[in-house]
Amino acid sequence: MIENRPWLTFISHATLMLGIALVALPVWMALVASTHPASAFGVGHIPLWFGSAGMETWQTVLFEQAGNGIDTPVWVMMLNSLVMALGITFGKIAISLLSAYAIVFFRFPFRNLCFWIIFMTLMLPVEVRIVPTYQVVANLDLLNSYTGLTLPLIASATATFLFRQCFLSIPGELVEAARIDGAGPWRFFFDILLPMSRTNIAALFVILFIYGWNQYLWPLLITTDDAYYTLVMSIKRMLSVNDGDIAWNQIMATTLLAMLPPVAVVIGMQKLFVKGLVDAEK
Amino acid sequence: MTVTFPQKGLPWLLLLPQLLVTAIFFLWPAEQALEQAFYQEDAFGLSREFVGLENFVYLFTDPLYYQSMLTTLVFSFSVAIMGMSVALFLAVMADRVIRGKLTYQTLLIWPYAVAPALAGVLWWILFDPSMGPIALWLGSAGVDWNHYLDGNQAMILVVIASTWKQISYNFLFFLAGLQAVPRSLIEAASIDGASPVKRFWTIVFPLLSPTTFFLLVVNLVYAFFETFGVIDATTKGGPGQSTNTLVYKVFEDGFIGLDLGGSAAQSVVLMAIVGVLTVIQFRFIERKVQYS
Amino acid sequence: MSDVVLKNIGKTYLNGFCAIPSMDLTIEEGEFIVLVGPSGCGKSTLLRMVAGLESITQGDLLIKGNKVNEKEPADRDIAMVFQNYALYPHMSVYGNMSYGLKNRGTSKAVIAEKVNAVATMLGLEELLERKPRELSGGQRQRVAMGRAMVRDPKVFLFDEPLSNLDAKLRVQMRMEIRQLQRKLGTTTLYVTHDQVEAMTLADRLVVLNKGVAEQIGTPMDLYNKPATPFVAAFIGSPSMNLFDANLTEKGVSLSESLYLPLPHAHRGSIVWGIRPEHLAIVDEQDADFALEILAVESLGAETLVHGVLKDGSVQGKAMVVRLAGPHNPELNSLLWLSAPATHWHIFDAITQQRL
Ligand SMILES: Nc1ncnc2c1ncn2[C@@H]1O[C@H](COP(=O)(O)OP(=O)(O)OP(=O)(O)O)[C@@H](O)[C@H]1O
Ligand SMILES: [Mg+2]
Repeated sequence: MIENRPWLTFISHATLMLGIALVALPVWMALVASTHPASAFGVGHIPLWFGSAGMETWQTVLFEQAGNGIDTPVWVMMLNSLVMALGITFGKIAISLLSAYAIVFFRFPFRNLCFWIIFMTLMLPVEVRIVPTYQVVANLDLLNSYTGLTLPLIASATATFLFRQCFLSIPGELVEAARIDGAGPWRFFFDILLPMSRTNIAALFVILFIYGWNQYLWPLLITTDDAYYTLVMSIKRMLSVNDGDIAWNQIMATTLLAMLPPVAVVIGMQKLFVKGLVDAEK
Repeated sequence: MTVTFPQKGLPWLLLLPQLLVTAIFFLWPAEQALEQAFYQEDAFGLSREFVGLENFVYLFTDPLYYQSMLTTLVFSFSVAIMGMSVALFLAVMADRVIRGKLTYQTLLIWPYAVAPALAGVLWWILFDPSMGPIALWLGSAGVDWNHYLDGNQAMILVVIASTWKQISYNFLFFLAGLQAVPRSLIEAASIDGASPVKRFWTIVFPLLSPTTFFLLVVNLVYAFFETFGVIDATTKGGPGQSTNTLVYKVFEDGFIGLDLGGSAAQSVVLMAIVGVLTVIQFRFIERKVQYS
Repeated sequence: MSDVVLKNIGKTYLNGFCAIPSMDLTIEEGEFIVLVGPSGCGKSTLLRMVAGLESITQGDLLIKGNKVNEKEPADRDIAMVFQNYALYPHMSVYGNMSYGLKNRGTSKAVIAEKVNAVATMLGLEELLERKPRELSGGQRQRVAMGRAMVRDPKVFLFDEPLSNLDAKLRVQMRMEIRQLQRKLGTTTLYVTHDQVEAMTLADRLVVLNKGVAEQIGTPMDLYNKPATPFVAAFIGSPSMNLFDANLTEKGVSLSESLYLPLPHAHRGSIVWGIRPEHLAIVDEQDADFALEILAVESLGAETLVHGVLKDGSVQGKAMVVRLAGPHNPELNSLLWLSAPATHWHIFDAITQQRL
């Protein structure tokens, strides 16, 4: 640093801590709320310090039933969320790797057209074509199924571009060396390309996992059967119970459980997460 | 890069999954939306009638639609500007500190991983007029908070919830941008006698402008589309129409109002908007690539 | 039996550029052939056609008597060492060396045996577990060679394999390559633009110019009897002194006033040349011409004197003289030189052929 002004440094630290506290505030509150019995909320404001009913609430929602009109326990919905998140993540990565591979390492007619078709998906987020997409999926009989939850979301221009970028940086001589070593397209793909792209894949994995886990609108539309509810969308169903009957402690516990996996991924794999975020925007 | 494999059929096989998914779940629905926008369909989908541009005419003469546009603009720019200001401020502070930078970063970026719907629910309860601590505190400070009734307050609430989630993203990019500012420039400015604040506004901030512009576009896109969950889990567009953004309206008119033609016409308009935003974003990225 | 035969081989790139018009070359078994020429003359193109990395647009390529034009690189039984080595960055040295064998379904035991044998030969035993990024430039170079050697191919192909090394290492690796090739007896095609490398390595040299083989021959053939001015200038360092001249009844006329006597049937425009090392300092009365000294480069073992011919109208024609041992002539003074006729090189100016 150019100048050493202790008070400036102090202010910086203080501001950052304040920022952290503000950012953490709602989660803190939710955590506190989840430790009080449901009855505590009817009588007035949310308690500000931990209660003693925490274990009980958490156990109930996690293993018995999520409550507020949903009989399924959270762990089942967690499993659904996991299936959907992993399905979307692996699906996106797999088909993007393959298309980027085709576009970079082969020459064929309409190559550019294919590239543009994939690019178009960037311009068509689910949110703007909700109704017709729903109709298409309904026509294909994919409502209330894992396929319906994942398949329509796995086209990915971003991932394809990212892998294309990554492949373009691989020196041509390496490809030639592999050809001389007797590696055909598939061997080259699995033996050379995949291992060389593994950090990119991992970084993208983190971003896509969060994306998949946090899907809200899509599962909300196409699941009507509890057995396929995902955790994030279940909150909406829980909130639609009559006002007086909402068990806030259970909602808070469920909310916290719903955000736990992706938050853990971000914190645990911070480096990959940051890389993925930056790469995805290039 | 000129080295390629000679196979001719294989690339099609490789592209097939992506192209199929794109065609079935993206292009086909988009085409359907285009088509439906020119038809009037009854609520049960039993009969439909070609109505030409009527859906669009209706849309663009509907004051509610203009109101929704305005709501979207207010909402999006509030989210973008608020999120960016707070994040920039925190990033500048984080850039200053030497010790604990990574810890601060960790503790600031995790909200990125929280689903928008959940973010909405968390703040919704903090501000709940009957039990939320913040609403109570505001009440004792003389502000009568009730986002169930007051449209402006509902808007403030969804803006806060949406911003909260996006700060982490802006923070990361601003911090990276700040760290890329050459030390020598700042040193030169301080030798020229500029105070830290002046240095920031005259040297650092202008150098950050590519990052700022990029984030502005990304934040607008985020506020447009990805905050659907925030609104749906909390205000559901209300009270009245006060938080009914364009994206939410497509959903509401289509799924709840069952006005398929009107919803499709809105979809078409939105696609055009996303198209423009995407092109802007792409242009910008191209430029960024050229510079680097 | 000849090992590799290029019959009327030609290459026209997709954009219509003709990199190699037509080329004939027969390589004997165990021969070390060096392709040499300036940048962009088509050396890599030719090598890559032999490797199968570039399609052959004309002619036939035979390896051990079989036409292999359409064969995949992997099926031609060749191995290649690239300029930047092209080692697989995520594989260990062992992995790099064994990959080609693995793809051919060789058993693990045989692979281990072969890799270890080659590693021992190249002094890589200690490095087998390392990744390429943990190796020095010279070590990477050795691994690249090892990767080619384990396969025990019919032909080695090298594309400027030493150009990424520093000068000293280059000399050392040059000798190693030559020794290894002798020991293994594998037919080798080697591309370089460095004429010293070419001269020291080659059994026979192919000098390429704009895709055409100007001359094919042993290094000494090319040095003593360059077929064209291009070869004459390309082989030898410093380059041969070449002048446009005329053959007249009085001899070689470098200018109106400067004649070098030579009885010769030919008359007309020629290119006349003499190598810097063949010029000798003599007394004024025995001299063929004088050189005005412009610069002196002392290298210890030899001295290079740069100057211009000092004679009326030809003044300005640059010439280099290479003298053994240290010399310290004064700048701008005159150096009296003789050019013995036995060392002359004379080419027809029109056909560019040696006379
Ligand atoms: N894919 C291609 N398409 C068109 N022209 C090409 C292509 N590859 C090479 N060329 C041209 O063919 C000529 C020969 O190229 P080549 O790479 O064989 O040169 P080189 O002798 O190896 O040169 P260097 O010493 O610089 O490696 C060059 O003029 C080059 O521009
Ligand atoms: Mg070359």
